[in-house]
Amino acid sequence: MALLEVEALTKSFGGVTAIADLSFDVPPGQVYSVIGPNGAGKTTLFNMLSGIYHPDDGSIRFMDQGVVGRQPHQVAALGVSRTFQNLQMFFNMSVLDNVMVGCHLRTRTGLFSAALRLPRIKREEKLSRQWAREALAICHLDKFIGQEAGSLPYGVLKRLEIARALAVEPKLLLMDEPAAGLNDTETLEMRKLIRRICESGITVLLVEHNMGLVMQVSDRILVLDYGSRLAEGTPVEIQNDRRVIEAYLGGEVQYAL
Amino acid sequence: MFDQILQFVLTGVTVGATYALVALGFSIIYNASDVVNFAQGEFVMMGAMSAIAMSAGDGIPVFLSLPLAVLVTIGVGILLQRFAIAPARGASVVTTIIITIGASIFLRGVALLLWGKSIFAMPHFSGEQPIHIGKATLLPQNLWVMGGAAFLVLGVHWFFNHTTLGKAILACSCNRTAAQLVGINVGMMMLIAYGLSAFLGAMAGILVTPITFTSYDAGVMLGLKGFSAAILGGFGNPMGAVAGGILLGLIESLAAGLISSGYKDAIGFIILLLVLFFRPSGLFGKATSERV
Amino acid sequence: MRRLAGLCLLATIVVVLPILFPDNYYVTVVGVTALLHAILAVSLNLLMGYAGQISLGHAAFFGIGAYTSAILTTRYGWDPWAAIMAGLALTGLVSFLVSRPILRLKGHYLAMATLGLGIIINIILVQGDQLTGGPDGLGGIPTLSLFGWALDTDLRWYWMMGATLLGVVWLALNIIDSRSGRALRALHGSEVAAEMMGINTTAAKTGVFVLAALIASLAGGLFCHQQSFISPDSFNFFFSIELVTMVVLGGMASTYGAVFGALILTLLPELLVVFEDFEVMIFGAILMLMMIFLPQGLFVGLQNLVLRWLNRRRSAAFGAVGE
Ligand SMILES: Nc1ncnc2c1ncn2[C@@H]1O[C@H](COP(=O)(O)OP(=O)(O)OP(=O)(O)O)[C@@H](O)[C@H]1O
Ligand SMILES: [Mg+2]
Repeated sequence: MALLEVEALTKSFGGVTAIADLSFDVPPGQVYSVIGPNGAGKTTLFNMLSGIYHPDDGSIRFMDQGVVGRQPHQVAALGVSRTFQNLQMFFNMSVLDNVMVGCHLRTRTGLFSAALRLPRIKREEKLSRQWAREALAICHLDKFIGQEAGSLPYGVLKRLEIARALAVEPKLLLMDEPAAGLNDTETLEMRKLIRRICESGITVLLVEHNMGLVMQVSDRILVLDYGSRLAEGTPVEIQNDRRVIEAYLGGEVQYAL
Repeated sequence: MFDQILQFVLTGVTVGATYALVALGFSIIYNASDVVNFAQGEFVMMGAMSAIAMSAGDGIPVFLSLPLAVLVTIGVGILLQRFAIAPARGASVVTTIIITIGASIFLRGVALLLWGKSIFAMPHFSGEQPIHIGKATLLPQNLWVMGGAAFLVLGVHWFFNHTTLGKAILACSCNRTAAQLVGINVGMMMLIAYGLSAFLGAMAGILVTPITFTSYDAGVMLGLKGFSAAILGGFGNPMGAVAGGILLGLIESLAAGLISSGYKDAIGFIILLLVLFFRPSGLFGKATSERV
Repeated sequence: MRRLAGLCLLATIVVVLPILFPDNYYVTVVGVTALLHAILAVSLNLLMGYAGQISLGHAAFFGIGAYTSAILTTRYGWDPWAAIMAGLALTGLVSFLVSRPILRLKGHYLAMATLGLGIIINIILVQGDQLTGGPDGLGGIPTLSLFGWALDTDLRWYWMMGATLLGVVWLALNIIDSRSGRALRALHGSEVAAEMMGINTTAAKTGVFVLAALIASLAGGLFCHQQSFISPDSFNFFFSIELVTMVVLGGMASTYGAVFGALILTLLPELLVVFEDFEVMIFGAILMLMMIFLPQGLFVGLQNLVLRWLNRRRSAAFGAVGE
């Protein structure tokens, strides 16, 4: 059974149809990529999957539960986490605090017990700190732990966003262009990181423009064009798909191989 | 009843025209530099007070003191931008709010020092012979305010839509870097925007003071009302600000006449809150959704 | 315990001052006001500095607390403590009801809405003269007593306000350094990302708004019994702005900064009195200059300077060892 089922999803902004009658299923335990030219509607799709936008029509089911109509924090509680195309870091906080925010759903204490510093706060803080350290370690960010988020270079921030999303302990992780703006070494490391995350049992939904990365890391690929599905299949199938080559990939496939 | 309401409407439009000019000044500065200028009301006070001071006693004749007062206020606006706003570029919203609040306190302090706490009057431009419309009456000065405001608003509209200079200022507010790249002197444009805004404030002060009188702290409430009007209309939309001003003046005048004069300001703000609750971007503002 | 080192230092200062200068006007009279302002600034800083929600109407909640307690004690003969509790309840209710629609707004719209709210409540205080005494104010408010110990001298009020401030600072530090506090800072940093981490940002904003209002209301309750006379002027738009200025002047998102800002802004007018007619002008100029040259706030600015200096010394020391 699929982890995520999207059916007949539609969303338009004024006159622009960003997603048109889109259906696809994401099986569990895979890296599933969504590709397509600029403006194809990939980010809009992510925004609907995470509850930030409400679709005009269609349904989204995650682990057999409806996503449409829930607010983002409720979607997060279902086990969906994400990173953003334009960094959405908490720049007013330290690296550790950023990732500890990710532990929000795994902890319970409220304003009242915090204000009085009841003993359970101390226990919970210790746990959160430990979980945050683990998430940072997965992303190889241990050495930045004491720094302020605002002082870090772009490449590190990209990984910090992933660490923060991992701290949520999601079942599905949406990554919007994690390798954009990274150099070759950083991209290679990102590829390994994505695989590591998938192997730890988290299903990854990936949006990425770097075709080399996409072809190497994905189990299946969905190709979007003007908000609708152009093709879907394994990387090999996609690379050999006539429509995809004509419409989008062109010479890049050769380059990627 | 009808005559009474007509009377309230006439008063409301007059007050509203003043609010509209202040609100227009707010929008111009906000558009140009993303700053909410809490010293906007002080421009109004400065214009009126300096005009009165210059022609007090054996001072210079009114036809000279008025333009001079406007020039003085424009100077204040330019100095404000040059020495308080420009050095703090890139500061957060709250920081700039406090800078302009500091500026407004400073200007009030200067006025207090120069002119004390007394209330000052200004002669009407063309007599005080009331004009009757049905049973409602109107002073010639009311016509001056409405006409003057209409003239200024149209002028500003024309300036931004049909002159190169106006379009250059708009370009800066859209994208500062791009404006700089195409050779616009951004610093100069900012000075002009603040000068223009101060000019509108001073004009509002000179037009309305014969009816309302003025004192060193007269700018405070006007500034707040102007800010409300600009928000009511949709911040950053100059013509929305003008409409917001007229609307606010009307609401207050009708509320004062029909409900309670003590609560008129409160009613104005309550309506403003209701508008914001149901249309968070104002009556004529574009609803924007945050892109992520 | 390092977490509370600053609090210990603050407590020491608060305790030592009146012992060193027992009958000093600046300690027992100005000091009480400074402590009161500090309580208010710390509460506003939770909302504004940490959660990033600007409020230009905080004085309104201070006013609701003060007037509820004043009216209930003078007109209905309530016990002062019960009256303060009633003030807290009313403030909680009002702030909760307005928080949802108001906190949906952002930036300048939020500033305007909170400003409007403050002005509306102030107008009600002025106009509702059957209850509030109108612009002339309300007098004859009884003082508080604590375990049979009547707060009838300036010095006793100093201890009361001092203890309250330390309590409020302790609460604020605890909150900031917890799951809820991180949620507040996170939604300041990026609201969508905070939501995506599972934070119910609407609830978090409501929570901090009500909490800040409650602390202000408590301060109002104390204030009215300390003053025995109150008028709407103490709760107007200007005072709201003054509170915002205290927070920003000290340095946003720093609890001690808020305390420091409150102290400076309370002392400044006292010191400027000697300039007589120039007072207002100089005050405005100082405000502008501080914001232009130290936009991150005095306290935080100075703190950074000291830290940088310490770092330089430490690295210099390391350099010497290395050689
Ligand atoms: N909030 C919004 N308001 C209006 N239009 C929007 C909004 N968000 C997206 N769009 C429009 O929807 C279309 C799809 O945009 P989207 O950001 O989803 O594309 P994308 O596939 O992520 O592109 P890219 O590869 O450049 O990130 C575009 O035409 C865009 O302008
Ligand atoms: Mg995108």
